[in-house]
Amino acid sequence: MPDLSSIRRDWFSNPRADILAGIVVALALIPEAIGFSVIAGVDPRVGLYASFSIAVIIAFTGGRPGMISAATASVAVVIIPLVRDHGVDYLFAATILMGVLQVIAGLLRLDLLMQYVSRSVVTGFVNALAILIFMAQMPQLTHVAPITYALVAAGLAIIYLFPRLTKAVPSPLVAIVVLTIITVYGGIQVNTVGDMGKLPTSLPVFALPNVPFNLETLKIIFPYSLTMAAVGLLESMLTAQIVDDFTDTPSDKAREMRGQGIANFVTGFLGAMGGCAMIGQSVINVKSGGSTRLSTLVAGAFLLFLLVVLSPLVARIPMPSLVAVMIMVSIGTFSWRSIKDVRHHPWQSSLVMVATVVIVVWSDNLAAGVMAGVVLSGLFFASKVKRMFAVASHLSDDGRTRTYRISGEIFFASAECFADAFDFKEVLDRVVIDLGDAHFWDITGVGTLDKAVIRFRREGTAVEVIGLNEPSLAMVERFAVHDKPDAEKRLAAH
Amino acid sequence: MQNILACVDTSSYAASVCDLAAWASRKLELPVELLHVVQRKDAVSGRHDLSGAIGLGVKSQLLEELTQIEEADARLQIERGRVLLAAGEEHLKAAGAIGIKPLHRHGGIVETILEREIDARIVVIGKRGASHEFAQDHIGSKIERVVRASSRPILVASRAIVTPQVVVLAYDGSPAADRALERCANSPLFLGMPVHVVMAGPDDQRHRTLIDKAVAQLGEAHEIRATLSSGRPEEVISAVVGETPGAILLMGAYGHLPLRTLIVGSTTTAMVRTVRVPVLLVR
Repeated sequence: MPDLSSIRRDWFSNPRADILAGIVVALALIPEAIGFSVIAGVDPRVGLYASFSIAVIIAFTGGRPGMISAATASVAVVIIPLVRDHGVDYLFAATILMGVLQVIAGLLRLDLLMQYVSRSVVTGFVNALAILIFMAQMPQLTHVAPITYALVAAGLAIIYLFPRLTKAVPSPLVAIVVLTIITVYGGIQVNTVGDMGKLPTSLPVFALPNVPFNLETLKIIFPYSLTMAAVGLLESMLTAQIVDDFTDTPSDKAREMRGQGIANFVTGFLGAMGGCAMIGQSVINVKSGGSTRLSTLVAGAFLLFLLVVLSPLVARIPMPSLVAVMIMVSIGTFSWRSIKDVRHHPWQSSLVMVATVVIVVWSDNLAAGVMAGVVLSGLFFASKVKRMFAVASHLSDDGRTRTYRISGEIFFASAECFADAFDFKEVLDRVVIDLGDAHFWDITGVGTLDKAVIRFRREGTAVEVIGLNEPSLAMVERFAVHDKPDAEKRLAAH
Repeated sequence: MQNILACVDTSSYAASVCDLAAWASRKLELPVELLHVVQRKDAVSGRHDLSGAIGLGVKSQLLEELTQIEEADARLQIERGRVLLAAGEEHLKAAGAIGIKPLHRHGGIVETILEREIDARIVVIGKRGASHEFAQDHIGSKIERVVRASSRPILVASRAIVTPQVVVLAYDGSPAADRALERCANSPLFLGMPVHVVMAGPDDQRHRTLIDKAVAQLGEAHEIRATLSSGRPEEVISAVVGETPGAILLMGAYGHLPLRTLIVGSTTTAMVRTVRVPVLLVR
């Protein structure tokens, strides 16, 4: 049970700043929730309920105070085919299953896997996310009246110039209000939020998704749920790391995973889509002074208040103003430094970053991009470590004994270099393989040592292996055959 | 090795914390660890920017800005802490403490105290911290948290200290009070000091028996007085403390759950607040 003092620290250490930040974030959540509902092909209601529900639940269940979670780009782009082919009820069912999978992931401590995601992959992920958010605005920017571009430009100008006037009011809100007034009173014909589909008019209702509960349904939703869960957790873990850095406080990543799961599980029953932590909105939160669970809760609750009470007004908001806000979020999410860094980072790191971006943007799947990035970084790492390998050899004075002195890491990637180090054609009585500075990492390495020893023996050369360190010796004793009686036979069976 | 953990900050209690720590050090023949925790400014909530606009490079910019704010403040705090620790060390030396080890740490005050108290026989802290300096008749919010979470006896310093001469033992028969009694009987801290056992409650058979038992347990080593008088505990005890020069109050602490305290208040808190002498709280 959390004690009183931790509740105070997590909730009420600075209520004024947290409430204000929560309100600013709620305003920044609206465009995103609507935008991605449109992308996913569902009513804005679905995304808006999701943002409300996820933010409010994660405020209690999450492991990273001050982080904002809601309906997100990364999840929305994954579910497009599901909604298109099977309908929105399957999305709700998939969201529930996504929650279950995330809770399981949290219980299995899969957050520890984040150690294997290198910095370049993270940067690639973040940049890809920014590009996805930007590309999601394209439908609002193609085949539209020219006035739309003027409105988007005006919106961006207000967002970036208004803070020079005052920082006491959220400039995205000012942009939305000003553009709404202009379009309504100026009689300008552009798409409005009301044109995008149904807005919420009441509190969400708890209901089972309208799908048959059988194996067939599970087969349809499971692949989507798995991807949604993976993508959601990835973005949440990355965002948690960013907020950790900003606030210089630690977070409980396993709890965050379980919390995300619980939030999505409940959200599915409320007739809403899945979501996860949001990088852009979390940055806005911290920038506005929010750092506790209270600001997350306020963001969610205030969002619902805005929608239920002000929905006739929200319906008249012109889409170009929301596009401007989303472009801002996209720009804020993008890692500007990574472009400058491409030039002086090692080429492998840059390649991993770019590959992650390209695969995500090409496949619309953040999880696929991250997998590719992780595999690539693993390969590059192996190829770098492989080079930490050297051989020296000398012939004894009588010309009958050669000593090979091997140093470095011997594993699957360096096994070939290891095998090539020996000259089997040389006529010798005895070979000494000194492995004092070498380390065997896997059975490929041990297998190569086997082959080398046995080849020498078939040439009639006696072989002595010396200097193995303790862990390597243990590997050799367990897996090698050259030191066992029927070595040739065993090697043939390999 | 065991020691006495003395916690100081920039409040006016630092001097009396040192005095008390030195007294405990002489009595227990243990060295003093003088702890000061650097309190960093919370830059996140300190910024006043509700513009909500984010742009290129916002993550690195914001991190840089937060770091700068905290860095400048932290440097100042560290310098201040060094001066404070040096002064404390001088003070302890003058007051006759045995072996002084200054310790400067970053982190939360309560968390750091709990971390360091593992080696401590007694933790000495001021009644109010620097953040509550001017709230008269309040006790610092951190003290209750330390006392509740700590497994060590906590010696709470009042603003002005005379070397403790007489132990006033607040006794109510509760398990926490029994532990305080036991400590009073056995600890070298109170060796040879007269003890005044005080109990608040009506003068009846039950209370008589309790107080007699307590007196018996203290044994021959101390000069003992006992008072049983009816009234609210904090009034009865502060009256006795008030007329005893050189008193140190010894009591069991926070026997109740935090929830009950939230509703009806805590006798411990009330007591620490009202008496103007050092208090040793035993959990």
